[in-house]
Formats: sequence, structure tokens, C-alpha cells
Amino acid sequence: MTLDRGQVAMVLGRSGSGKTTLLKIIQGVLQPHSGSIAVDPGAAGGSHRAAVAWVPQTLGLVRGMSALDNTLVGALARTNSMLSLARVFPGRLVREAAETLALVGLFDKRQEPVARLSGGERQRVALARALMQKPALILADEFVSQLDPVTTDEILILMRQVAKTGVSFLVTTHEIEAVARFSDRVLLVRDGEIAHDGHSGAMSTPRLMEMLA
Amino acid sequence: MRLRSALNRAVIIGILGAAFLSMHRFGLLDPGELRPAAGRLAEFVTALFPPNAGVISTLSGAMLETLEIAFLGTLLGFIVALPLSILATRTLFGGGVYVPARLALGAIRTVPSLLWAVVFVVGFGLGPASGALAVAMYSVGYISKLLYETFEGVDEEVLQSVRSVGANRLQLIVYAILPESANSVVSQLLFMFEYNIRASSIMGFVGAGGIGYYMLGYLQLLDYESLMTALLITFVVVMAVDYLSARVRSLLLPTQQPVRRAPLLAGIVAQP
Repeated sequence: MTLDRGQVAMVLGRSGSGKTTLLKIIQGVLQPHSGSIAVDPGAAGGSHRAAVAWVPQTLGLVRGMSALDNTLVGALARTNSMLSLARVFPGRLVREAAETLALVGLFDKRQEPVARLSGGERQRVALARALMQKPALILADEFVSQLDPVTTDEILILMRQVAKTGVSFLVTTHEIEAVARFSDRVLLVRDGEIAHDGHSGAMSTPRLMEMLA
Repeated sequence: MRLRSALNRAVIIGILGAAFLSMHRFGLLDPGELRPAAGRLAEFVTALFPPNAGVISTLSGAMLETLEIAFLGTLLGFIVALPLSILATRTLFGGGVYVPARLALGAIRTVPSLLWAVVFVVGFGLGPASGALAVAMYSVGYISKLLYETFEGVDEEVLQSVRSVGANRLQLIVYAILPESANSVVSQLLFMFEYNIRASSIMGFVGAGGIGYYMLGYLQLLDYESLMTALLITFVVVMAVDYLSARVRSLLLPTQQPVRRAPLLAGIVAQP
């Protein structure tokens, strides 16, 4: 499969079908039995790790740190390693992190500890941290599974806005309704294999339900 | 299900049986032993009253020294324990590093605090320096165990997220392990300090300073009224520290340490 720049693909499948495994293989954490993964060689200086950002289901944020600090974690590979150990970042990165938080609508809460943010706000911080990596692709596992319907829509609209800047998304989800509204492409995973890969606009919700069953 | 409840019953009966056996061996079920012992205890307790107010000023100074021993010992112990416990964390290092680190920490933990005190009294002579070093060594063993277990409890997805941005091992410690563990670490340190005040109280028994030196002296001189004063002072201080550490916990937690901008760039970059 090939994912185009700025494309949003959603991965559907029953629990245990292999959706997260697919993402982890693309991330490079798991090795594929066959085949290979390649990202745009021009992206993120050609480094696979930097070009692929990872947003896990539980978001993986550090609860005691502020939204800004969590966002800066995304830039760790771009900063002086010794200075970063003293938790000191160059001003340009701090400013960039603040701008990224502004992009996801959290500028005013940049100094709030993540523990005090709502579920939707934490989702935005996780997205901001991923964006600080300057990735070509963001892999998000069960991206909106913990959110109410209104917040889910807000986050997915934000994802579409980010995708317009050229960042691709590969998102696993159980939100079938969201597939037609927010993705360009739908992949159906069954028993560890991609059983279907097509344009999401062509698939109705009942048809997707039927294929998932 | 029936087998399980029968097994539970057997375990409870086994535990109680073992306890009774030990009590029998120690003579704790023998009325002929218990009656005179209870009489002697009552006599001792009576002799503790009234407490001797005349020694309060002497004992206050000794108690302050005990607090100093506990404070310094806990702090030094933590400073040594932190890097050692990082090396002993399985989620950060392979067996070649964490196994030797754990063995060293286990060896330190095996030695009781009083024995550490004896060791340091031999080296540094009588006085609070030996007490503080003994408490520090004892604390290294215990704090490090509490720390590496806390570090290993950090959510794997947090570690994976920080690793995935390309963070090296030291950055992983600074940006995931330490901030995620901060609350527990503060809690454990306060607990260790409280514990060390009690432990420091008996350091004086082997000449390592503090109120224990006076307690032993009063015991040997059969001056039970002064001993009671020492016990009361220790009780009041321990209660006060319990209360204060509860206040400190609520003030410090949850912790948040914001990152700072590089000092050289501070002047030229606008506040975000």
C-alpha cells in the first residue's frame, strides 16, 4: 500500500485483527515478516524515526508536565542533547511549540499540567507533540476512542486541517461513522491481512458494518 | 470453587497453627511464665511515671541532633540511591547493568542500620557523623528499591512515545521516568525521612549520636522517669513530622517543573 502526502486513511477491523500491529510495523517498532516500509526520502532528513510520529491509544503524555513541555518532547531529536537534559530548550523551539499549541487551539493552556486537561485537550497536546517532530506521517492508534461525539468531531476536523499542510494520517478506529466524513481512504484489516483498501466515499456505513462482521 | 475455599481454609489454619506453635515455643502460652512477666511489666510502666521534666532541655538538643541525623542521612541516601536505582531499572538497562546494580543494592540492604552505625563508629568515632552515614547507607538500600520499582511502573506507552521521537536514554529518564515518578518519589522520600527519625532514635545505643545515647544511659541507670521523657519527646516529634510531611505532600504534589529557555537566548526570544 502507498499513502499519499496529506492523505487521511482510517483502518477498521475487529479487536485483535492486527490494526495496531500494522501501525507498529510502519512505525518500525515491529519487524515485518516480509516486505518493507519506506517514507518519502525528502521528509525529515530521510530519517524514518523522525518522519513517522506515533500517537498511542493512551496518548503517552507525561501527566506532571505542562502542555508546552509535552509538546517540546516532540522536538527532542532536534535539540542539543546535553542542554535538553537540564530541561532547557532553544528559544526558537519553545516559540515553535507555542505556535503548534496555538494551531491545535491550546495556546492559552500551554502552561497547564496535562493532568488538569480534559480528554479532548490531551488529544490536542498529543497531536501537537507529534507535529513538533515535523513528520510526514502520523500514526494514531484508536485516536478518538475515549472521546464524546462532539469532541471526536472537533479532533477529526483538526486532523483534516493538519492533513491539508501535507501531513498524512493513518488512524485505527472503531468509529465507522467517522470514516466517510473524515477520511480519504479506508483499510479493512481481518486476521492480520488487509482485506479491503479503497476510497472511503464509496463505502456506506451499513456496507462497512457488513464487511467488518 | 469448593476446592478453592477448602484451600483458603487450609492456608488460614496453617498460618494460625504456625503462630500458635511459635507462641508455645517462646513460652507465650504458659501462664506460669506470663503472670510474673505481666507483673514485672506493670512495675516497669509504673516506674516510668511521672516523666522527669528536668531533662527536657538536654533531651531537646539530643532530639534536634536525631532530626539532623535523619535529615542528612535521608538526603545523602537519596543522592546515592537515585543513580543506582536508575541503573537497576529493567525497562532502561539490560541484565548486564541492572543485575549487578541490584546485587549491590541488595547487599547494602542486608546490613541492618545499627550494624552500619557500628561500622561507621569504628571509622569516624563516636558522634552524629557516624549516625548520619549509617542512616544514609541504610536509606540507599531501601530508597533505591522503592525507586526502581516506581521507575519500572511508568506506563510503557509513555516510554514508547518519548522513545519514538528519537529521545536517547538520558532524555528518556529526564522526560518520562522522572516526571512520571515524581509524585511517588516525593512520597517515598517523606516516608523514608519519617522512618529514619525512628531509626535515628536508637543510633545512640552504639554511640552514633542523638537521643538514643540518653535513652540507653537512662535504661542502664534505671532512671525510668527520664526515659519516659525521652520517649514522649520522640513521640511528639514523630507526630509533628507525620503532620508536616502530610502538609508538604499536599503542597508539592502534583509536581510540575516547567522547562526553561536557554539563558543565552532568553533575551532575544519573545515570551511564547
